[in-house]
Amino acid sequence: MAAGIYVDKVRKVFGTFEALKSVSLDVQPEEFTVLLGPSGCGKTTLLRIIAGLETETSGVLKIGDKQVNGLPPRDRNIAMVFQNYAVFPHLTIFENIAFGLRMKKLLNSEIEPRVKKAAGMMHIEHLLERYSGQLSGGQRQRVAVARALAMEPEVLLMDEPLSNLDALLRLEMRAELKGLLAESRTTTIYVTHDQVEAMSLADRIAVMHGGHIIQYDSPIQVYQNPANEFCGGFIGNPPMNFLQAERRNGHCHIAGAALTAPSQGNGRVTLGIRPEDVVVAEASAADHLSGHVTVVEPLGPHNLLTLSVDQQLFRVTTAADSPIRSGQEVHLALAPGRLRWFDSESGQALH
Amino acid sequence: MTDATQEDLQDKRNLLDRLLPRWSVGQWLFATICLILCLWVLLPIYLLVLSAFSPRDAVFAWPKAYLPFDISTDTIAFFFGVRGVFSAFLNSVMVAALTMVISIGLGAPAGYALARFRFRGKDSFRLLIVMTRAFPIAILALPLTVTFIKLGLYDTVFGVALVHSALALPFAVLISSSLFMGIPFELEEAAWTMGCTRFQAFWRVVMPIATPGLAAAAIFAFVISWNEVFAATILTLQHPTLTAFLLTTLSESPLYFRFAGGFFLVVPALVFIFAVRKYLFSMWGIANR
Repeated sequence: MAAGIYVDKVRKVFGTFEALKSVSLDVQPEEFTVLLGPSGCGKTTLLRIIAGLETETSGVLKIGDKQVNGLPPRDRNIAMVFQNYAVFPHLTIFENIAFGLRMKKLLNSEIEPRVKKAAGMMHIEHLLERYSGQLSGGQRQRVAVARALAMEPEVLLMDEPLSNLDALLRLEMRAELKGLLAESRTTTIYVTHDQVEAMSLADRIAVMHGGHIIQYDSPIQVYQNPANEFCGGFIGNPPMNFLQAERRNGHCHIAGAALTAPSQGNGRVTLGIRPEDVVVAEASAADHLSGHVTVVEPLGPHNLLTLSVDQQLFRVTTAADSPIRSGQEVHLALAPGRLRWFDSESGQALH
Repeated sequence: MTDATQEDLQDKRNLLDRLLPRWSVGQWLFATICLILCLWVLLPIYLLVLSAFSPRDAVFAWPKAYLPFDISTDTIAFFFGVRGVFSAFLNSVMVAALTMVISIGLGAPAGYALARFRFRGKDSFRLLIVMTRAFPIAILALPLTVTFIKLGLYDTVFGVALVHSALALPFAVLISSSLFMGIPFELEEAAWTMGCTRFQAFWRVVMPIATPGLAAAAIFAFVISWNEVFAATILTLQHPTLTAFLLTTLSESPLYFRFAGGFFLVVPALVFIFAVRKYLFSMWGIANR
């Protein structure tokens, strides 16, 4: 039932603006892929091209084994959840969920159990006789998802479905969606600009920036081994730290420390390290950075330190009971396995 | 001053305070102007309705009865008894209904196109639609009459309806385009992903939501046609509409006949416009209330 999605070198040009620059994506059957990126990166355009709501300028698109280029949305065996829910205001919730099934000309006896089942999954059985005007945003969101699930599509497409909900509700729906979609085993593409949502939901994340897919990998790989500086900076809160270093004779020199260089060569490189991979050390050592604490923010589970290291911004998380105060000079020990190096010019990761 | 008169004054003030809201001079002025404007419009209509529903001789009575004590359908019955009135009335209804059908049938698709599609010359098209109202029909009258005689449309219900449609169409297009613009495109897209063709999505999703507004646009077209005099007078001879008929007969008919005629011209239009005011306001950019 679930089908894979195969996107090969798809381009999209709006007038003079190239929204997608040769994007390729290979989603396995039953896989949950998140398209993640800042606004304007082309993620929604890609989703809409897969749905058939937008026409690609060039490239190949397959759902399952069927090439779907040029097919209208109704012939692609997809279901889509829209950002603003798109619940039909003139129909009851029951009729909203049944809409797609009626278009398939199913019998009433088949429609009713499927609507009830989908409504049950989203816990909205008690709302079936109401109209969307009588529902809250969260309930409308549930209707939109139930309506998509009732279609039992090969592919489920979701366009920032949680972005209009308030923070608490979003958290709740996120966990619920994850359980539900894992159970339904439907191939899913989910668009979001929220990196936490992407990390929590995805089997694989496609990080998009400027019309390109920069990295397409599991959340943990994207988090630990970002393909370039953009990925490291976009994912994680607080984001990855970047420090400019000078590479000479196999060593990189930053803020008084000498670290083993990733590869041969001389010139500038960028060090990347996540705030939680840095420990404030008691004493100085050759591979410790020295920094000046400018701000201490107690966040509850831990404290977030903002430091100035060699005139560059640097963030470190410490234990909540850490005695470090702003104004202090500290030594920073970097977890050796967690150092990432990037080319200072292109921003690409060095291996 | 004695204590008693002081108390008297105090009492009077309290009474005034209770009866009248505490408004500033500006607010009083505003309220007064509103009242005058309302009376200016409503009073003649009231007298018109009153006279139309009074016995025939009450129109000439003096002093006039300003309250509806003596209601009768006598005048109305007389009005419809006059030769030509009833057929003119029917003609008016037919012309207005036809105008309604033509202007919505053409105007709604045009409005949808304006709301949903980007095409070359869209803004000039929108402007052109309004520009059609800039042509004084008086200038068009003679060539139009000649053409209609040639085409065999002169003195027919359909011919008048065509001209009325030309007058009503700009409004139908603009009302329906603002109507369709207010319906999120996402709803249509959702319908497409659920198995609808573009037309099915329009028919099953957009139309049901737009129907009340389209009905309002239709009624507006009806009213425009109902009240139109000039084209109807020029383009008809044996089969006039009610307005055309009244225009030619009014000057030589008795006063009560004029009141009844006035009633049938003014009141249906007023009632219809009142019923659809919400949609007209939204077309003119005034918030719904």
